[in-house]
Amino acid sequence: MGFWEPLFFWIFALGALISSCAVIVFRNTLYCALALIVDFFFFAGLYVLLSAHFLAVIQILVYAGAIMVVFLFIIMLLNLRDEEIGERTFSLHHVVAVLSTLALFFAIGGAAMMIVDKDAVKQGREQAAVERKAQAELEDGQKSEVLVQTESRVPGLYVDLNEAALESGFRARLNQYEQGTATPADGKYRPFDPERPFEMPPSLRSPEPDAIGTRPTSAGLYGTTQPLSVLLVNRFVLPFELTAVLLLSAIVGAMIIAKRRVV
Amino acid sequence: MSWEPTLIHYLVLAAAIFCIGTVGILIRRNAIILFMSIELLLNSVNLTFIAFSKYRFDLDGHVFAFFVMAVAAAEAAVALAIVLHVFRHTRGLNVDEVQQLKY
Repeated sequence: MGFWEPLFFWIFALGALISSCAVIVFRNTLYCALALIVDFFFFAGLYVLLSAHFLAVIQILVYAGAIMVVFLFIIMLLNLRDEEIGERTFSLHHVVAVLSTLALFFAIGGAAMMIVDKDAVKQGREQAAVERKAQAELEDGQKSEVLVQTESRVPGLYVDLNEAALESGFRARLNQYEQGTATPADGKYRPFDPERPFEMPPSLRSPEPDAIGTRPTSAGLYGTTQPLSVLLVNRFVLPFELTAVLLLSAIVGAMIIAKRRVV
Repeated sequence: MSWEPTLIHYLVLAAAIFCIGTVGILIRRNAIILFMSIELLLNSVNLTFIAFSKYRFDLDGHVFAFFVMAVAAAEAAVALAIVLHVFRHTRGLNVDEVQQLKY
């Protein structure tokens, strides 16, 4: 965790909060849609911070690109005048809505706070400080190895574990998928034929760890297209195919509904 | 709580945006803005999925977020078709005026 990552997190978080508020307070529907597009870009930035590179791109392509184009298309097609929008003036209803949602927020936030073990966090922070100090005394060659041991064992502290630890943990799991040694009890991977482990096509196999180098930060696989596609065509193949059916039925349904009269 | 983002930061941020979306659904009566609020809700849930997924070292949350996006795309298409239909019937987008299904 350097200096820039927290900075960008706070920029994206504040931007997402402000533009989300803008979505619900603007009177003009067009401004709301534009604020929502800005919001989606901030979300994509947060996904990048969480190493979800593929989803960040998809977020921009699908949400900011496709869905919002449909929204803007409808808004401009209807070309609403003020009296057609049909907003109420301010009333007690709004106050009650905001207050009850505030209560909801505190309930969710309290629940989220409770899952973090305070003592473990404190202990982890102290340990991380000790190990950082030890690392500072080492020369550069051993740096990454020490980093693996540092922040990854802090429970509840760093959502962003350093890339090296992330890679080693993730790669071990990927190897398990590939060898078929992950048992169904883990809920991770279930081969179609229990007798024979699933053979991954060579194009989907991850490169050998040595080919990437000791510091896989630049060629990290986590959150990129390859492992996600491995999951989608193995464990989640049925929902993946059902998504295709869903999209097809949505297209047909949208056309039938939007048609003035079905003959 | 420190300056550095941890899992809890992402969770609280997602909760805040979820609540903003809920307020939008409760206080606005414009059908299009209601659907935009629903998109906000879906996005905040996606953020939670991805934060937990990174926290747990695996990609299952990413897959779920992927499916949520697919469902959101399908929902947007159907919802906007319905909006178009409602506009033709009531000459407006106030969801309070759409009560014909009750009878």
